[in-house]
Amino acid sequence: MAISRPARASDDVAGKQIKRTIWSGVLAGVGLVAFADETVFHQLLHWHHFYDKSTLAVGLVSDGLFHAGGFIAMVAGLFLLADALRRGGFVPKRWWGALLLGAGGFQLYDGIVQHKLLGLHQIRYHVTLWPYDLTWNLIAAVMIAAGAALMTGRAGVAGSAMFRSDAGTAA
Amino acid sequence: MPLALTLLAAVGNGVAWYRLSRRGHRWPARRAACMLAGSLCVGAALLPPLASHDDRFEVHVIQHLLLAMVAPVFLALSAPATLALRALPRRARRALLRMLHSPAVFVLTAPATAVTLDLGGLYALYLTGLYQAAERDSVIHTAVHLHMFLAGCLLSWAVIGIDPIRRRPGIRGRLAALVIAAAGHDTLAKLMYAWMLPAGGGPAAGRQLGAELMYYGGTAIDVALAVIVMTQWYLATGRALARTRRRSAVAGP
Repeated sequence: MAISRPARASDDVAGKQIKRTIWSGVLAGVGLVAFADETVFHQLLHWHHFYDKSTLAVGLVSDGLFHAGGFIAMVAGLFLLADALRRGGFVPKRWWGALLLGAGGFQLYDGIVQHKLLGLHQIRYHVTLWPYDLTWNLIAAVMIAAGAALMTGRAGVAGSAMFRSDAGTAA
Repeated sequence: MPLALTLLAAVGNGVAWYRLSRRGHRWPARRAACMLAGSLCVGAALLPPLASHDDRFEVHVIQHLLLAMVAPVFLALSAPATLALRALPRRARRALLRMLHSPAVFVLTAPATAVTLDLGGLYALYLTGLYQAAERDSVIHTAVHLHMFLAGCLLSWAVIGIDPIRRRPGIRGRLAALVIAAAGHDTLAKLMYAWMLPAGGGPAAGRQLGAELMYYGGTAIDVALAVIVMTQWYLATGRALARTRRRSAVAGP
């Protein structure tokens, strides 16, 4: 009986920890795709154009929001990760699941809404486009499915004492 | 004009440091270094060689990034109002504290106000004929610089400031303000690139280079701002966490 009260309190704490873990993963996932898109497709391959002069103003607003939001999400997600780790009770499986959901969701938004509906820019120019679009959105769908799979089922808390700043006092 | 303000601020800081050290108080060196770096950025933006070539649009953009974005970040981190509160005589200190806690200052330093003034000024400058007018008229030119600098300061104070302002918004509000300001800045840069703006900005190549500099330079500074906000949050949360753990350790299991 003596154990019941601390156990309930720690259930509450564990719920908060799961929330922190998931937020951190989603933000880092969105940031990762925004970052990969910017460096790989814009800077390295030069497939995407900085601006292809066919875009409506609403597309530019959407792009600006996700460009700026993506980088800031990455920074916020990594700091939230550091916070979740130092608190102890971090759940790696849920973090990876949330990361994949965030990354896949953003990639799908980019592929369907930004590339197609808003006509912001295309994946590549002067080529047959549909295989690129299909691959892009399929990768997004796979990430979402894998993320959803990791979000269900049993998941253990990170056991390593390295992650537990309060490991000594917990007992 | 901002240069004169900065010189005045630098002299004021010197006097404040002197008064504090005479009383045996210490002022953190990193805050002094931030004040120095911020003043240097303002100086670099408003003195030759940048100032003598600011008829070229890409040079104007570098000036704008230094004056309205980099300098305010350093100045906000130097906590000038806190320094003034420590160094001023009692009566002046009370007056300053009353002013800092006044409704007017609360409204001015609210993130929504800061973002509106900052983006509003930028969009008016580059999308209307204001840039061209400022190129011709030195009074408008000075007013534009002053507005950019002050609006940048308001935004930096709202997002990363450490001076005692009443009811500072929480981490979510500050991050949201940063995302909106950054997105507005990026969108404007792309609009300028697309529409070959601003009017009167010189050769087309210079205008496009300027817009790209504004886009990537702005992103770099916004990422730095995000890192600063989150570092402040991480340290503050860590202090709260340590307090809770100490308390539960004292209370016992």
